Amino acid sequence: MRPESPRQAVSFAKRFRAPYMAGGTWLQPVWERDRCWPGRLVMLNPGWPGFRGVDENSEGLTVGALTTLDELARHPLTDPYLPPLKGLMNHVAGPGVRHLGTVGGNLLAGGDLLALALALNATVDLVGGKGVNSESLAEWIREPSPGDLLRSVTVPDCQGWPVAVEKLGHRERFSPTRATVACAHDGRQVRLAVCGEGGAGRLVVTEAMLRDQGVPGLKDLATVAGSELQALGWRDARLRLAVRRILSFLLEEVNRGV
Amino acid sequence: MGFDRTMETRGDIVTLDTGSAADSPSAVNLHRRIEGRLAYATDQQELPGLLHGAILRSAHPHARIIRVDSARAWGMPGVQGVVTAADVPGLNRFGIVVRDQPVLCDDHVRYEGDAIAAVAADTREQARAALEAIEVSYEPLPVISDVTMAEQQAAIHDTNGSNLLARETLLRGDVDDAFARCAAIVEHQYQTPRQMHAFMETEGGVAIPDGQGGLVFRVGCQSGHRDAQQLADILGLAPDQVAVEAVATGGAFGGKDELTIQPVAGVLALQTGRPVMIHLDRFESCRAGMKRHPVSVKITTGCDAGGRLLGHRVEAVLDTGAYASLGPAVLANYLDHATAPLYRIEAYRVSGRLVYTNNGVCGAFRGFGGNQATFAVESQLDALAQKLGIAPTALRRINLRSPGEPGSRSQTVRWTAPPADVLAEAAASPLWSARHAGAGRWLTGTGMAMGAQGNGLGDDLPDSGGGQISLSPAGRIRVAFGFSDFGQNIAEAITCSVCDGLGCQEDDVEVVLGHSRGPDSGPTSASRSSVLMHGVLTSLLPRWKAMVCHQAARLTGYPEDGLEPGPGGLFLNNHQVLSYRELAESSDPDCMVAEASQDFPVAPGHEQPVGRYLQLQIATVARVAVDRLSGRVRVTDLHHVTAAGRVIYPPGYLGQIEGAAVMGLGMTLTEDLPTRDGRYVADNLDQYLIPVFHDAPRQRVDVLDNTPKDDPFPVRGVGELGIEAVAPAITAAIEAATGIRVRQLPVDPGDLLMALSAQEQDL
Amino acid sequence: MNVRDTAPEGSVLEEVSFELNGHTISRSVPAAASLLDILRASGQVTSARAGCRVGRCGACQVLLDGCAIPACLVMACQLPGRRVETVEGLDSDPDFLTVRDALAGANALQCGYCTPGFAISLVAGLRQRRQGHQVDLAETVAGNLCRCTGYGGLRRAVGQLSDPGHHANADGPGDSLLGEQK
Repeated sequence: MRPESPRQAVSFAKRFRAPYMAGGTWLQPVWERDRCWPGRLVMLNPGWPGFRGVDENSEGLTVGALTTLDELARHPLTDPYLPPLKGLMNHVAGPGVRHLGTVGGNLLAGGDLLALALALNATVDLVGGKGVNSESLAEWIREPSPGDLLRSVTVPDCQGWPVAVEKLGHRERFSPTRATVACAHDGRQVRLAVCGEGGAGRLVVTEAMLRDQGVPGLKDLATVAGSELQALGWRDARLRLAVRRILSFLLEEVNRGV
Repeated sequence: MGFDRTMETRGDIVTLDTGSAADSPSAVNLHRRIEGRLAYATDQQELPGLLHGAILRSAHPHARIIRVDSARAWGMPGVQGVVTAADVPGLNRFGIVVRDQPVLCDDHVRYEGDAIAAVAADTREQARAALEAIEVSYEPLPVISDVTMAEQQAAIHDTNGSNLLARETLLRGDVDDAFARCAAIVEHQYQTPRQMHAFMETEGGVAIPDGQGGLVFRVGCQSGHRDAQQLADILGLAPDQVAVEAVATGGAFGGKDELTIQPVAGVLALQTGRPVMIHLDRFESCRAGMKRHPVSVKITTGCDAGGRLLGHRVEAVLDTGAYASLGPAVLANYLDHATAPLYRIEAYRVSGRLVYTNNGVCGAFRGFGGNQATFAVESQLDALAQKLGIAPTALRRINLRSPGEPGSRSQTVRWTAPPADVLAEAAASPLWSARHAGAGRWLTGTGMAMGAQGNGLGDDLPDSGGGQISLSPAGRIRVAFGFSDFGQNIAEAITCSVCDGLGCQEDDVEVVLGHSRGPDSGPTSASRSSVLMHGVLTSLLPRWKAMVCHQAARLTGYPEDGLEPGPGGLFLNNHQVLSYRELAESSDPDCMVAEASQDFPVAPGHEQPVGRYLQLQIATVARVAVDRLSGRVRVTDLHHVTAAGRVIYPPGYLGQIEGAAVMGLGMTLTEDLPTRDGRYVADNLDQYLIPVFHDAPRQRVDVLDNTPKDDPFPVRGVGELGIEAVAPAITAAIEAATGIRVRQLPVDPGDLLMALSAQEQDL
Repeated sequence: MNVRDTAPEGSVLEEVSFELNGHTISRSVPAAASLLDILRASGQVTSARAGCRVGRCGACQVLLDGCAIPACLVMACQLPGRRVETVEGLDSDPDFLTVRDALAGANALQCGYCTPGFAISLVAGLRQRRQGHQVDLAETVAGNLCRCTGYGGLRRAVGQLSDPGHHANADGPGDSLLGEQK
């Protein structure tokens, strides 16, 4: 189905209980594996205003949900705002998939960009049955509103922020994510976020500890971060250990840049 | 041929380089493949009346089949044929060593890939849709998934008594007495994974009725002649009614050694009277296809105060899955390698058990049990060296066999260079003096291991093969062997040998491979093809040269002993007097056909030779970097020193070592297919991860070759050698970098990280 | 979102038209049919192969509007008006010939089944480079799997394509085996 507008897309999706199709790189393997294809698809149109492209504005940097991963990686605004993004993108899926897959699709599938977007306190613009509304990305992934269509994601003006992000996979490239860890300093405090096997989220307790205690002992950081990860759903103690260590490493990097 | 065969020669050692093959005629063959103009087994689309087959596989890893009702499938759109066990015309069983695997299961299913029924339809999608209309009712049976308990559980095969398929023990001397005299003893458990071949082209091909009641199979396979015999029995046809043409296929590595889709495709083709293509998709290949035997082994090894190996005890268990396939031969080869062919050990007791479970099916896989055993043996030597306080290279130097000594099974062996020289070259690798980063997140280290491999099918298996050479009507020198081409450059190697032997050029030669109605060269496996090919050509070429010169002399009137074959035709005093084309056009083709066959070389003078006679060696030096933050391992460099006879086709030799090494790297770092209650936990390449471009290390392959010019066996098959020592070399390097020795593969970064962290806390 | 709808395959057909190797083709296919299956059914393409069907091996890689993508992940409904190129149509393309000669010269293939996919990735990279973009050719093939070669010849070919003045064998023994981390 080819709706003419985002509002119509939302209404078709609801009425026919059909999935949205952007790049399809997440859905297609699921259908192929289950050997079960939907009778109807709601085709999303990157031509709809606000759905594709990278835009500087008063809120910061807005990325349309239908921007492909490759377009984002190569966009001239990427380096000034988020220097580590280009390097991270080489590890997100594979080059072919990045030409098809979209930013929105990546966020919705719990992909690597989620950690970075959460650390930057991103907000999302959603098209729902009752029009467009914004909410924080963190809130949206905690309580997604099914049927709402993601139009764009906005990060604040983070030019000059020290930002560090790292993906831990199983092999050098083209790997499912074990964990992606992101660390950003907004001038006042450090923000930490993770996504991957244990789920996505901001490490707010750990952030608070860092804010209140200045530079913590490594042991304290490890304990607090470890518990917070476990509470988020990271059950594998060995992976938690890796995440904690990468977190310390990224923190050092970010603090050097402050 | 335009290949730059050497880059650097230091005495007998040569570093291999592909050279620049861009201008050589064989580049044309490469161009065909790069341009996508070579039709592989599953690219054969253009057959008139072609049907597509799909296979219904078991819903349970272990169950009794109560009822199969395929009636409704006949009514599905596009369906032209539906078959179940009752439709198998002949023997409903196959298997290279033991024919215990049903073509279509009748009363029992024993793994989740077992085939129960199949459909042929106009399109693949229609065939698969029709499978849904076949009703099967099962009575699930307890799943035998723990190999350590399987022997105490009910037998999966009624005919076998228990789930112990085979057991074997190799003995030398009195091992208990030897241990009593040891100054140092180490005992460890090792585990190697259930690896998947992951050839890029999955199993597939076509069965084509020949119009006379027989069938021609054009498939990706490794042993067309042997397959044809099994297929004739399955299809109730006379042997000469079944022909197999081994079509170029996208990789095999042992996974296409056994029959794959051929039996079902054949049954469907006979029923419908039309050609039937079956191409397993990757999900199905993961679920139903062959795997490498996972092995669990406990080894005890001891030496005296001087480092001489006195005692060695091995107890191994191999999980063979639901059917035998080549399991018994893998067990035998595992044990052979577990006797540590390179080293002198006074006494050993090496035993292994091959056990049936409902965990998939395991069979031939590059290395064939040998590399799993070498991983354990080499790790033991390092452990012993550490206990004794000497360098790993020193312990090896003390115990390495020398040429002229018998092998580890007391058999006569032929090496192509002294093992001590191979070790010395490896010990001199520049990787040892690499700068090791101390600070920073990457811990680097260098380690090495050695391995030996024997060519040929091994104990008690008939092993022979032949070839044929003739002149085609178009005037090309047609060389036919029964080997299959799955990308191992065998045609190029044959062409090189023929050009060397006759003095002709590449363009003059036409290699024909893999026709079961042509010469039987035996299976394309066990690294045997190069040896056989060389032996057969050595016999064939002089005879054929004589035939050709005789015929040319008759046609031209020139004296026979003055004529010489050369590029394009026959020469007299360096002047071409007759082209091959002219020779063909003016002659009866049958007067210039030569055939030869030979037995695979085994040790002379033994009535029942044990072990392998023709041996090769490799020493692999590995450099790794371990991330102290995550435990992840990267292999940055591999340096192989090989002693594997004469190099016939340098790019082929180099490619085999490099390719096998990275396959071994995958087995060491990321590849495993565990099962949960008999079901694989991964079903495609997004979950089963093989090395990507950026995982590949820099590699260097050196060739050490001391074989005299007139050695009767100057050639070895290097298809498997590269995988032999890479796993223990990597774990030795990890130990050098971190102090931690990993004995279960694949290396788990989480476990390595925990060990690293514990170590840091101890500091 | 309901992705478990079991509408029978082929029930909703769409007419799709797109450009394949320079000419238009039209087919009537289910909307969710993959470009890979359409190409192979067309009888004009065998170089794109079903290695996995989940976009994880690169054997089905083709150029879509000049970008190297896995054809198994592109659906019929995404095709109208777009331009597809496969190696079958590139035989006189100068970038393809450069790639082909580099691959052949470095003996970067054994069975060759994955090679057209690699060639497509590298052709896309060379085109980008000619348009003035910074291209790391090794990154372009990060999503192409090869099981036969261990990537040795491919590394050499990529080295040569990245720096044509460099000898084809970028990792020859003349180069030190000691080096910085990649």
